[in-house]
Order: sequence, then structure tokens, then C-alpha cells
Amino acid sequence: MRFAFVLCVLGALSACETVQPWEKGTLSKKEMAWEPDVMEANLRGQIHASKEASSGGTGAAGGGCGCN
Amino acid sequence: MRLFRYLLISCLCAPWVHAAGVAVGDNAHSVILPNLPDNGATTSLVDLRGKVVYLDFWASWCGPCRLSFPQLEALRTELGPDGFEVLAINVDEFEADALAFLEETPVSYPVVRDATGATPADWGILGMPTGFLIDRQGIVRKVHQGYRKNDGAGLRVEIVSLLGE
Amino acid sequence: MSDRKVEQNATLLALTSSALLLPGYQHAAADAPPDYTELGIRYSQYEEDDTKSSKTFGGASERYEIGIAQFHLLAPVSDDWSLALDVQYEDMSGASPWFVGESLGGDPKVIMSGASIEDSRTDVSVTTRYYYDRGNAGFNYTRSEENDYESDAIGLDASFNDSDGLTTYSAAISLSKDDIEPTQGSIQPTNTLKDEKDIRSGWIGVTRIVSKRAILRFGLGYTYREGFLTDPYKLNDRRPDERSEWAISTGYRHFFVESNAAIHVDYRYFDDDWGVSSHTVDLAWHQNIGQSSQLVPFLRYYTQDNADFFANLEDIEARYYADDYRLSAYGAFSAGLRFNYSFGDWRVNLTGERYRTSSDWGVFGGEESPALVDFWRYGIGLDYAFK
Repeated sequence: MRFAFVLCVLGALSACETVQPWEKGTLSKKEMAWEPDVMEANLRGQIHASKEASSGGTGAAGGGCGCN
Repeated sequence: MRLFRYLLISCLCAPWVHAAGVAVGDNAHSVILPNLPDNGATTSLVDLRGKVVYLDFWASWCGPCRLSFPQLEALRTELGPDGFEVLAINVDEFEADALAFLEETPVSYPVVRDATGATPADWGILGMPTGFLIDRQGIVRKVHQGYRKNDGAGLRVEIVSLLGE
Repeated sequence: MSDRKVEQNATLLALTSSALLLPGYQHAAADAPPDYTELGIRYSQYEEDDTKSSKTFGGASERYEIGIAQFHLLAPVSDDWSLALDVQYEDMSGASPWFVGESLGGDPKVIMSGASIEDSRTDVSVTTRYYYDRGNAGFNYTRSEENDYESDAIGLDASFNDSDGLTTYSAAISLSKDDIEPTQGSIQPTNTLKDEKDIRSGWIGVTRIVSKRAILRFGLGYTYREGFLTDPYKLNDRRPDERSEWAISTGYRHFFVESNAAIHVDYRYFDDDWGVSSHTVDLAWHQNIGQSSQLVPFLRYYTQDNADFFANLEDIEARYYADDYRLSAYGAFSAGLRFNYSFGDWRVNLTGERYRTSSDWGVFGGEESPALVDFWRYGIGLDYAFK
């Protein structure tokens, strides 16, 4: 429940500004995407998963490979 | 998921309250805004009374807007002589972005700019772009949210029908 | 009705970078297919540093050198559908740690696999995505093939935008059936001749617009692996045949208008029932330069605790044992720089990264593995948009 706690604290800190549909210009910039470069993100994710004991966090795991 | 939702909702923030907005059947609200590019003059919606008007809220960062501009321009070229006009309201935060968009996608219909957000709030915009089709009497006859490749044809039918009233 | 294509917030959609959710749909309008077809190719190479002679029997040894070609296609199919195709081809050669032994001085030293290992991997992934009024849902199939490993995975994901216009909820599941058939048996004995592995995974996430300049996300994922989880090529490796993993992640993006730049901050906490837990912090600064260039320095810190059954020197009595450096306690820093340049509908990018590990950089105490890996990575890419 540590997660729920963190979520609530951050939510409380952050959730109080209303952003209207016509105010989302900055948020729609490519560099504001979670992953502006999907191929780069996939590559890094895979390299790290093959060299470290951890993986995942931002989606379901998908398939495995012989690299780990 | 329910937990997440609960936590977020419980986080003491004012819900997103919408201004009443403008719906189908309502009288068009007043719009008087400076022209874009700024030439010191304003354009007023009420001056277009007697025409069928497509009032288009747009922004440079909105992908579908890029799609709608050439189609609206074509409709205006074709149906302008019969009394159709487009009035485009730019809601960009930065004027330079809007001007760059117009340079890439030039149009001959009037474009105005609201830097304050008052107009889209008054009209109750829920997403970008949103267009209002207004008849010759100044009554809103259709609210068109979003814009897709094939929307121009449907819009044309409705405009022609309103022009014939 | 044709009122669906409403641009709400492009970034809301881009909830994941996992292998499951491949498309670059975050650039397009929310809940509508991308406006145009995008194509990308990349070539990357990474070279692991030689092992240190003081930590290797027989002196310093070369390790892996891997070349990776990537292809990405994302195309709108209709007003409601998009299709993404991702193909990745990897070619690897070199040596990898075989086992750790005790030197005359009593220090653990690694014995490398000797003769050069050659392998390649082909990964093909297809994602279809349906866009509805308040979100989108994707189906993914991925097949990966190596000489000694095959994997078939399917995944489903969906996202839903709250009527507040600020919040998006997402969920994803995936299933994978993997077959292991070691082929390097002529070089050294392997731990199995033929075996299987299943991976089941689920994830939920929420994204929230914080202000007109900032956005925040949280995610919670669970992955269950079952089957032959032992490394087939490591001499004494014997691992449990089950593994449960949890990962909590959070991310933040903030745009600075004055600097014309965006900061990316990501954190992940990982924990599993093998005793591994880890912290990962990712930072990136996306600096726009003029209209067409972008410079992106990035920094990553990773630290993990060792698995309960990790030890450098084998305990023959122990039921489970691994001397794999990837299950040891250590810390890793990586730093890199990416440069993007756009001209017309084209975009080129160049990337370089250095990754270094040390047991001294970890926050978890534990025995140092002699086989920790460092590497350099370089990449070049070209993207095209059919505008």
C-alpha cells in the first residue's frame, strides 16, 4: 500500500489545476510524450532487461528471449 | 482501477466545471475578436448574419485541424457565392505557432484569435477542433467535434441544405 | 457519427514503452489513428568491454558485440484502426561468462565461454489498434526466433479517458510461450536439451495532466514466469522454476517554455520472490534547437540487490545457485546523448551511450561479481512520415 500512499500524496499535490481542451498545446508536443522515440525506448528496454535482473514497469511483459 | 479512481477523485480538487456552452438550437453567442495576422481590426460574428457560417475553433498543434483547413477552404470557394462563410478562431497560446500554421496552410476566409480562452470557454468547447454550423438567422444547427478525412462531404450536404432554407 | 477524432491530449495515449505496445501513436491525435503513415529504420551496435584480466582466468577476454537493425511502420488503416509492424534483427558474437571459480589467491575469477558464440535473433511484432470515443485498445502478436530460443507472445491493452479531460486509465495483459533448445552443446555441456517457459503479465496505469505544462503517470505491473528459468549455458546454474515480479513505476514530463525544452523523469521500483529488488531512475532533457534540431542528454542510475541464491563460489549443497553477474548486487550508471535533425518529412538521429557498473555504486550490500559488464552503444536512424 506504499504505492497507494505515494499516489494519493502526489495526486493531492498535483491534481488541482484545471487544463482546458484548448490549453493542451504544450502537452501535445512530441517531446512531452512518454516515449518520443519508440524504437529507442524498445531498444533500451531490451538491452537493460538482458543485463539486469529487473524489467517492466510501464506495460505488460510481452515475450521472452534467450538473452536473459 | 477503482482504488486509483477513488484516490484521484478524493484529492480535493475542483471538478472540471464547464460553462453552459452553446448547443444545437441556441442563438450564436457574440464573437468580436482581433484578426490574425493582426492588422489592428476585428471581425465580428454578428456582421456575418444572413450567411450560413461555420465557426471553427482551431489550434496549430491540433492534427485534425490541419486536415480541416483545406476542406473548409474548398467549401468556402464553392459555396461562398451562395452565402457560406467560415470564421476560424485560433486558440493557440503563442501567436507565432498560429502564424506558422497559416503560412503552411493558407486560407482566404477570416481568421481571428482569442489568446485569453474566453471564447472557447463561453462556447463550451470539449475538444479540438470544434465547429459550429450557424444558419442565416444566427441559430446553431450543428456542433461538429473533431475532424476526419471524409467529414467535408457530409458538411457540404448540411451547408447546402441550410443555404436553401 | 464522425465526431470521434477529438484532439484531447496526445501524450495521454503514450502510456507505455513495453515490447507489448509498440506504436508511436502518441504523436497523433488522441483516440484517432495517426494522421499519416510513419516509417523508421535504425541500426545500433553495442560492444561490451573486455573482462578485466585481474578477474578472469586466462587473462582479459572479449565479450559480446551485438548489432541490431530495427524497422518500424505505423499506418492508419481507416478512421478507427491503425496497424503497426515492428521487426528487429540482432546479430551477436563473442564470449559470455561460463562460471566463476576461486583463484589461487582466494579471489573469485570468471571463466569465459571460450570459443566465440554466434547467434542471431529475429523479432516480428504486429499490433492492431482500435480507437473509440474515449480511448483505444490494441492487440499485439510478437514472435521471436533465435537458434536456441523461440517465443510466441500475445498482448491486449486498453485505455480510457476520464470525462474530466485530465485523467487516462490503462490496462494491459500479455501471455508468452517460450521454447528453449540450447544449440551450443558442442562447445560445452548445457543445462537442458529442450525445455519451456511461460510468461504471464498484467499491468495497470493512470496518467494525469497536472498543468498545461506537466503530466504525471503511475503504473503497477505483475509478471509471473514459470518453467525452465535456469541459464542453459552457465555451468552450475540452477534456479527456481517460478518467479513472481512486481514493478511500480512513476513518470513525470514538464515543458519549460523559456528554455524550449522538456524534462523527463522516471522512476521504477522492482521486487521479486528471488530476493531481487531494484531502483531505477531515468532522466532526460529534450532540448529543442531552432525549428529542426533537438539534443537529448540522458542519464540513468540503476541499482539492484542480489538474488537469495546468488554466490560467486558454488555451494554444492544448495538447492538453487547462480553465479550470474546479473543476479549480483551492484549499481550502474549510464549516460548518453541523442541528436535529432528534421528536414521536410525526414528525420535523422544519432545516439551514443556509455553504461558502467560497479558493486561500489549499489545501495544494496552484497558480494561483488567478477563478471559485471560495461558497454558502449552507438546508433543511427532515419524516420520518414508520409505527410
